[in-house]
Amino acid sequence: MVAVFGTLGYRPKSLIPTIKSTPNVDKVVFYCGADRSDSEALKRVTEARKAVIDYCRTMRIAAEAVDLEDPFDFKRIALRIRSDIKKHKRDGKEIAVFNIAGGTRPTSSAALLVCILEGIPTVYVHDITYEEIHLPLLRMEYSQILSGEERAILKVLLKNRGKDLTEVELARLVGKHKATINHHLRNLISKGAVRLEGHHSDSRKKIVRLEESTELLLGDDD
Amino acid sequence: MKTLVSTFGKEDLEKVLLAMKLLPYEKLVLIGKGEMTDCDAFKRVSALEEMSGHRLTAEELDGNDFMELVDGVSEILAELLRHESIVLNVSGGDKLLGDAAILAAFRLGVEAYHCDERLTRLPVLRGATAKDRFTPTEQRFLTSVAGKWTPLDNLVESISQGKRQPVERVMRELRKMGLLITEVQGGKIRVALSGEGKEVARAIKACSQR
Repeated sequence: MVAVFGTLGYRPKSLIPTIKSTPNVDKVVFYCGADRSDSEALKRVTEARKAVIDYCRTMRIAAEAVDLEDPFDFKRIALRIRSDIKKHKRDGKEIAVFNIAGGTRPTSSAALLVCILEGIPTVYVHDITYEEIHLPLLRMEYSQILSGEERAILKVLLKNRGKDLTEVELARLVGKHKATINHHLRNLISKGAVRLEGHHSDSRKKIVRLEESTELLLGDDD
Repeated sequence: MKTLVSTFGKEDLEKVLLAMKLLPYEKLVLIGKGEMTDCDAFKRVSALEEMSGHRLTAEELDGNDFMELVDGVSEILAELLRHESIVLNVSGGDKLLGDAAILAAFRLGVEAYHCDERLTRLPVLRGATAKDRFTPTEQRFLTSVAGKWTPLDNLVESISQGKRQPVERVMRELRKMGLLITEVQGGKIRVALSGEGKEVARAIKACSQR
């Protein structure tokens, strides 16, 4: 199965050229949403959404419109898109391209971010000519930048997000000596992936916290 | 000195003010398109900066070519990184500029934020750049091929002073990564960068300016 992903704002013409230019598309997934207090914006997005669904129905292509609760919440949008992309990949579906031309700025930027992290081919559609512009994206493979131990630490911290883990407890969960963990933690702190906070009752201990952005880095199922 | 760099458009006063409030900095640099210094929002920010004894720096980029914008933002960031530590806000300006700034942040490993009502830190690992993925020989290979078909023999000479084996090994690795394409012409191997390979080469060059 070949899927096309996209972000959609007021203009179906910003997404449909990508559906047309991609061979053998079976499914289109697109993200849309408007400020709910802005009735004009809501109306225009609803019309664009309907137009894309009508187009796909006529072309016998399955369409999934994802209505974003808040199209200005960058982090939630990025997490949602990343989760959907990973699910498609897990199911063995090919994501041919992600069109990031439409939608709010946070929606488009969140989609770009996910494309960089997941290595998805990305396109814009020109505002005036409706010509597709392919972005030669740089895929950031953090598995090649972070060491195996660093990734293991981040995964344990992500899994135990709600808990106040000290360095000693973290070392036990990762199955390494405290001194080893300490060394890797220093590297992760310098990269901005984790931080240390004072313990609420014991000043000798430190709590290891995952930086908020690391959640975006790892995705939901790493 | 800590410098806050922000993408900027004439309707982005609130976004920039929020970034100025939430991200500690001493010097402010705004990156925008066209004549941004003429707009009221810019003058307002400039006046605020003068109150703190710092001059606001404006960096204007032209054009609507995405990769030119990425290169433009990368150059500005790389130049600043030579002398100071920086944080980047990518929420100002139009979509194209903001997205170009995101890509530049990933290229150079710059701490970056999206600041629009809420402050969201982007998952860029500080200092982790495209360069870190490659050995020095791989980097030299990628930047030597640049945008044109290059005979492998030339690379053997320029990269490893005539030693063929290590260069061939690097060629195979890069081809496996999808960064390189090869062909045989007149019995000689020629290599060129794929689309992704070109971006990686650009990114390595941008990182080398740091």
